[in-house]
Amino acid sequence: MARLGELERKVMDVLWGSMETAMTVRQVAEKLPTYAYTTILTVLDRLQRKQMVRRTKDGRAHRYTAAASRETYTAELMLEALGAAPDRDAVLVRFAETVTESEAKVLRLALGGLGDGSDGTSTASAPKVER
Amino acid sequence: MRLHVVAGCLLAVSVACMGPGAIWLDRARWTSRAPRAAVVLWQAMGVTGALAAIGAGLAVAVARYGVGFRAGLEHLGAGLVDGHPLTGLGLPDALGLTLAADVAIVLVAVAVITMVRTVRARARHRMLVDLVSVETEQAAGALVLDHPKATAYCLPGIRPRIVISAGALRILRSSELAAVVEHERGHACEHHGLVMLPLTSLGEPLRWIPYARRAPVAVATLLEMAADDYSARQHDRRDLARALVQMGTAVTAPACAFAAGGTSVPARVQRLLADDPPARLMAGAVLGGAALLVVLPFAALLA
Repeated sequence: MARLGELERKVMDVLWGSMETAMTVRQVAEKLPTYAYTTILTVLDRLQRKQMVRRTKDGRAHRYTAAASRETYTAELMLEALGAAPDRDAVLVRFAETVTESEAKVLRLALGGLGDGSDGTSTASAPKVER
Repeated sequence: MRLHVVAGCLLAVSVACMGPGAIWLDRARWTSRAPRAAVVLWQAMGVTGALAAIGAGLAVAVARYGVGFRAGLEHLGAGLVDGHPLTGLGLPDALGLTLAADVAIVLVAVAVITMVRTVRARARHRMLVDLVSVETEQAAGALVLDHPKATAYCLPGIRPRIVISAGALRILRSSELAAVVEHERGHACEHHGLVMLPLTSLGEPLRWIPYARRAPVAVATLLEMAADDYSARQHDRRDLARALVQMGTAVTAPACAFAAGGTSVPARVQRLLADDPPARLMAGAVLGGAALLVVLPFAALLA
């Protein structure tokens, strides 16, 4: 299952790499030589059912394109994450909400005592323990 | 007669939890010193508010049998199976109970629909994140969205995702970034998504009840504080505070979207910088109170 998810990413990457021209299964498979033709076909089929991929008929072969660009999807996710979408509870409360300008001033003052971070003393300290 | 008195008391308890109790807890200052315990108290208030109301209805329904609560429930069960649950009730009681049952059914239906919608929205979000995000060494354990705006969040689920935008990577130093990722890991490990799900699902349809309106906002803030504490166990509180300010001032989302709610960021930053020792005694007392609160309706009916 996890492997299939990984392969879905790779196939989408290939399709996003050629947004203008629709690709046949064989063309996609050639870009991912470690995987069998039928596996690619299965993955494309799954992606089509998820409506991530559009299929068009071209003679006897099918051609596939990404339903939308990577940027479009990223923008959709960010819109949801920033709470501008109607179903804002799709995502857990994000790390920081926007603060007002006056609040920002107060907060920067409060942080002033800690230095503005340009001294670099606390950079590159990795988490002590990986959980 | 006795059961009618119990029903009246339970109704009063329910109203107290849903109204003045919720308003009191929302305004209380101590909650930021024991955020986890405060969240449990919020949950206990909600559960007791609902249970006490249900208990009051049942008490009225079984009072006519005159055999006490437990035996009365059996009679009521038999009545429901026979299809004559209202026999022996006066008109006001019968109408009241029917209305209460209808309201309960509608509420449950609305809550279930909202939950299903939320879970579906999360599933789509998860699918897109998995396909669109890139992994970088810069933020181990997090998926990165290639977008200039700064954001970081935890997507709840069986396998939660921690998502960070390229904009956030740009403005955070590595120590701050690690603290932020750990904060989100706190949300994931403590299953804050599950805590929020019933609150957000019932909050919208029941906005006229103070509890339903206030609990989602208040608990969300408390969960942020809980996640801050989780991160502070392994990282410098000041790094997290700095990250909060950086991210809070960097996001250039439409201001109108957040203007109404007021934000919790200033309170959280001050809390992180103050670094008060955890109020264990208070947390214990609050948890005890929460437990008593949940037991109350059962004790009133079964004692």
